[in-house]
Amino acid sequence: MGQKGFFTDTTLCIGCKACEVACKQWNQLPDDGFRLTGMSYDNTGHLGASTWRHVAFVERPVPLPTQTVGLMDFSWLMSSDVCKHCQRAGCLEACPTGAIIRTEFDTVYVQPDVCNGCGYCVAACPFGVIDRREDDGRAWKCTLCYDRLGEDMTPACAKACPTASIQFGDVDELRERAYRRVAQLHEKGWEQAYLYGADAESQPGTGGLNAFFLLVDKPEVYNLPPDPVVPTMKGKEAWASMGWGALGMAVVALGAVLFGREVTHG
Amino acid sequence: MGDIRPEDLEKRQDGRNIDSRLGELSGEGAQQRVRDIDEANPTRGVLRTRPSRSGVLAESPSYYGQPALKEPVWIWSIPLYFYVGGVAGAASVLGAATDVAGGKHLEGMGRKCRWVGTVGDMVSAGLLIYDLGRPERFLNMMRVFRPTSPMSVGSWVLAGSGAMNTASLLFAGRRGWLGRAGEGAALGAGLFGFPLAGYTAVLIANTAVPVWQATRKTLPLLFMSSAMASAGSLLELLPHSRGEEKILRLFSTLGKVCELLAGVAVQHEASRLEVLERPLKHGPTGRMWKAAKACTAASLVLGVWPGRRRWMKVAGALLGSTGALLTRFAVFRAGKASASDPQATFQPQREGMGAAEVTGNTHASDGRPFEFPLPVLRESPEPPRRQTSSARFEELEPEPPSAPES
Repeated sequence: MGQKGFFTDTTLCIGCKACEVACKQWNQLPDDGFRLTGMSYDNTGHLGASTWRHVAFVERPVPLPTQTVGLMDFSWLMSSDVCKHCQRAGCLEACPTGAIIRTEFDTVYVQPDVCNGCGYCVAACPFGVIDRREDDGRAWKCTLCYDRLGEDMTPACAKACPTASIQFGDVDELRERAYRRVAQLHEKGWEQAYLYGADAESQPGTGGLNAFFLLVDKPEVYNLPPDPVVPTMKGKEAWASMGWGALGMAVVALGAVLFGREVTHG
Repeated sequence: MGDIRPEDLEKRQDGRNIDSRLGELSGEGAQQRVRDIDEANPTRGVLRTRPSRSGVLAESPSYYGQPALKEPVWIWSIPLYFYVGGVAGAASVLGAATDVAGGKHLEGMGRKCRWVGTVGDMVSAGLLIYDLGRPERFLNMMRVFRPTSPMSVGSWVLAGSGAMNTASLLFAGRRGWLGRAGEGAALGAGLFGFPLAGYTAVLIANTAVPVWQATRKTLPLLFMSSAMASAGSLLELLPHSRGEEKILRLFSTLGKVCELLAGVAVQHEASRLEVLERPLKHGPTGRMWKAAKACTAASLVLGVWPGRRRWMKVAGALLGSTGALLTRFAVFRAGKASASDPQATFQPQREGMGAAEVTGNTHASDGRPFEFPLPVLRESPEPPRRQTSSARFEELEPEPPSAPES
């Protein structure tokens, strides 16, 4: 078993969208339209209930360090986004029905036969991954191919990726591989390369991600939050504030009754 | 799973592109029921950024201005429930308080409060079930108790409150142990009333939605004081005696004062960053937020006006209810607007208002210390450009942030 996850090395991504197609096909997800967004070559837009892999295309007027500059300063960044399967998962901690579980592979899975579509996970995900399909009424997200893992197969997107941009395996091993890759890139002069969410040290708000990324620009450029936090970590303060509110309410209610009563007697 | 026969696939046309001679719908996503194929690229609003102006070089970049988070999927019934549940909770509390401190002649009032609480609990349950994606599975809320989830806690609180209120109405005043149980249930309903009035604020504060998360310390106070104001206002509209009126007037007046103060506190907590406060200040939601305060303030004035006439009482109670309702809807809509604004997600986190607030990390996930604005990632020094006669890449100013208000 062990912890399974993805290491998505965005420097190797060529934007072919094989992962998107493979995911759609294997999971038999319905179509979500064929219009062009006008955002570069990204016609998927974002992750959603029926989009579990999404390749982001970033066009920058900045050259890559190793790139020979042609006509102008320009570079592509492509990054295949996916559910992060956080160690501290906002959706899992918010789910009131127990539909969202942590599997034996240490991934986060939504049980569609339990989910009642309350929509709390949608608001609780700090990455905006999980979504509720309106005409279905349930929340959906990447399962890290739970059905394939059980058969000892690689998830569809990693299987289909032609450049090893999406690497699947045990998280510990992936981390080692990722550190080596970052060191290699730094040697080549890609000083900007860093790992996003590889461990709890670099991303304490989520306790590290089972699906982490190698990025070469700010996370915001890829539509990733720079310092995400599982909402539960801050929930205690709200509960404490509610406690004070309850105290005030008790005082007001009892005070009003005692005052009103005195007047009636007097 | 697998309840769809291959021959049905021809008729389904649900965009799965499955060869009906080979296909069997047994994939994980095959369980998605498709009535209408999704509208293409259901992004919020029209894309206003050209790729060449994607703002990658801006101080705080974003992905073509696309939302970083999903907007909460809840509909109108949820903010309405925030109001109704608040009324039910605060009324139960007041009912228990009259039982404890009111004496014999106020028994009727305690009972009246519990009627309001009971009806409120029933309506609340209805509103919540109406919003569910799969209403037929609402009982799954009772499958587990999950302390990390305010919605799970709140479901149990609502169930407990409904049970206690109903039991107290059925059994209080009877002889023997049943009667004592009914009186106990009345007290229990009061105890459940506190979290019922406040947990909804904790529920929305415990999300990734920037403005809700940022106001987590004051939102519960706002919701609870607003619950007192609205329960008092509603009970003032119901028939009541003179002695009861004193109590109700005091209760709702204090509630309104607290509501106004808490509203200021919420605004103050949100104003730590302009981008967080934006939805509460601008557009229809901003106007709603101001109108809510105006209604509450007007109701407060009418409530403390000496020598009140009947129309003033009624108008004050109606205005108080309207203010409380508008408060809930304004907070709700502000959250929706805040979630679809990527800058509201990114900027506070760069300012150290993300995980850093609780875990004390000093660096963002990309290894940069929290300081804003950040130096732009650039190759330094810039390589000399080849002089060409072809088109040059135009470096345009990043577009000014547009107020995210639909």
